[in-house]
Amino acid sequence: MIEVKNLVKKYGDFTPVDDLSFIVEDGEILGFLGPNGAGKSTTMNMITGYISATSGDVYIDGHSMFDEPEEAKKCIGYLPEIPPVYPDMRVREYLNFVADLREIPAKQKAAEVDRVMGLARVDHMQKKLIKHLSKGYRQRVGLAQALVGNPKVIILDEPTVGLDPMQISWMREFIRSLAKEHTVILSSHILFEVSAICDHVLIINHGKKIVMDTPDNVIRTIGGTEGVYLAAKTTAERMNELIGSIAEVAHVRAEAAPSDGVVACSVFPTEGADIREKLFRTFADANVVLLELRTESKTLEEVFIALTGEEGTC
Amino acid sequence: MLAVYKKELRGAFTSMFGYLFLTFLLALVGFYVYTFNLKLEYASIAYAINSVTMFFLLLVPMLTMRILSEEKKQKTDQLLFTSPVSVTRIVIGKYLALVSILLIAMLIISVYPHILARYGTVNMKVAYSNIAAFFLLGCAYLAIGLFVSALTESQIVAAILTFIVILFTLLADALKGMIPSDHAISVLVLAVLVFILAGIAFLMMKNWFVFGGLLVVGYAVLFGLYFWKETLYDGFLTKMLGWISLISRFDKFKYGLFDVAAYVYYLSIVFLFVFLTVQAIKKRRWS
Repeated sequence: MIEVKNLVKKYGDFTPVDDLSFIVEDGEILGFLGPNGAGKSTTMNMITGYISATSGDVYIDGHSMFDEPEEAKKCIGYLPEIPPVYPDMRVREYLNFVADLREIPAKQKAAEVDRVMGLARVDHMQKKLIKHLSKGYRQRVGLAQALVGNPKVIILDEPTVGLDPMQISWMREFIRSLAKEHTVILSSHILFEVSAICDHVLIINHGKKIVMDTPDNVIRTIGGTEGVYLAAKTTAERMNELIGSIAEVAHVRAEAAPSDGVVACSVFPTEGADIREKLFRTFADANVVLLELRTESKTLEEVFIALTGEEGTC
Repeated sequence: MLAVYKKELRGAFTSMFGYLFLTFLLALVGFYVYTFNLKLEYASIAYAINSVTMFFLLLVPMLTMRILSEEKKQKTDQLLFTSPVSVTRIVIGKYLALVSILLIAMLIISVYPHILARYGTVNMKVAYSNIAAFFLLGCAYLAIGLFVSALTESQIVAAILTFIVILFTLLADALKGMIPSDHAISVLVLAVLVFILAGIAFLMMKNWFVFGGLLVVGYAVLFGLYFWKETLYDGFLTKMLGWISLISRFDKFKYGLFDVAAYVYYLSIVFLFVFLTVQAIKKRRWS
């Protein structure tokens, strides 16, 4: 379990992390979301004890990071934004060093290094110098490093940045599989990724918590009512007239026409009403051909922009 | 601690720096032993070793420049400082690796007096007290190099700074003769020093009260003592330079004198700078 309590980091007048509190239960994956410079990396660096907090505390399995850092650090595997690898070391040599740092007993060391290399799929690279590896493989070696000693908590800072699509989908699968035995925090600015992998999402901006909930709930509660997108073979006036005849419509937003002779728009009903059937009947009765009719759920992306008031970077 | 120690030692010999350091040091010692002991037929190894001390200027930065700066630059310090090993143990592990490399050279040099003894009478006590002093002087310089490397991300900056600091400790003796020794100038220089120290404290804490407080207290003590007994400051600057002159303590050994105080002095420098290194790293993680 990870417990973050009133965490604050100040650099002079600048406050990258401002009174952040949250709890991640065992076996959960928390997605840490925010625009660039929102304080994600700073927070992760504090959780892992790389930098100290101005105030507040972090408890890893009940161990305070600031009062008993050694105990707390034993429970954490950390993959920072830039994998902390030594270019002049060979993969196996590097992981041996990490195993020594984490005080893995000499007898279990070889087996442990084999295990993490297998998990991160770098075993066929074990004799290569890290400087000769591609970005994707370095990232995997960094991941293997975070898994040495099978720590309960695994923290990954933007783990899929710089990977190719195959590696990204493998990495997502892998993170998902970690959740069986581990508690995971991962940061990302790719919103789809977070909603696909994570049990909970924590959105921060300017170092402040904006919302923390399941991805679905975030979209539902903050996303507002869902709209209905429809495209029909008619004119704009005719369409407005037809839609206007339905009482439950709150407002209409014109959309770009998909092709000539077709008009499209999004219709937003009043709270809680489902107007799809009414729309269909109205258009059918008027003998207007409906080409498309679908509910438009807001994506996390839109929620994110709405919440932070800034463009998310994808 | 052992993990970091082993990694640094291996690192020194997988890159060329370890070999370069040993080759350079042993070649220099060999050259001077050849000149003084074999050619000029001195029995004591002291002169040869004494001549090598000034080359620490180049030797030490070679070994220490990357030891901490490179970790910061490559961001591998994120691995070290998030591992369950304390900063103190990491720094000590690194320092001991540096000392071990120097020790390899010292072991080889330790054989020389025995070789010389085959051709004449060698005072072993003088020889080994010299070799020990040389080793400790090297350890003190390595500690200074380690500290400088903790201050920057750039190897080059670390190397140049270490070079300048060691140069200053070598020249301190020569500077002694050049600076005026009257009390007025001493007080003036000290006043400037107090101001600089208060300035550094202000930059670190961004607190005007600390700055003002340090200035007021510093100047009160400084000028209070001055008006009470101005002779206190006679030759004060010379004395201060004497404190930092690492090399002047080495000279006694050359004449066959055994000076425990010098050993203690070198060891104190080692402890002070290893301690400062740990503090510098901890400080960086705070700010």
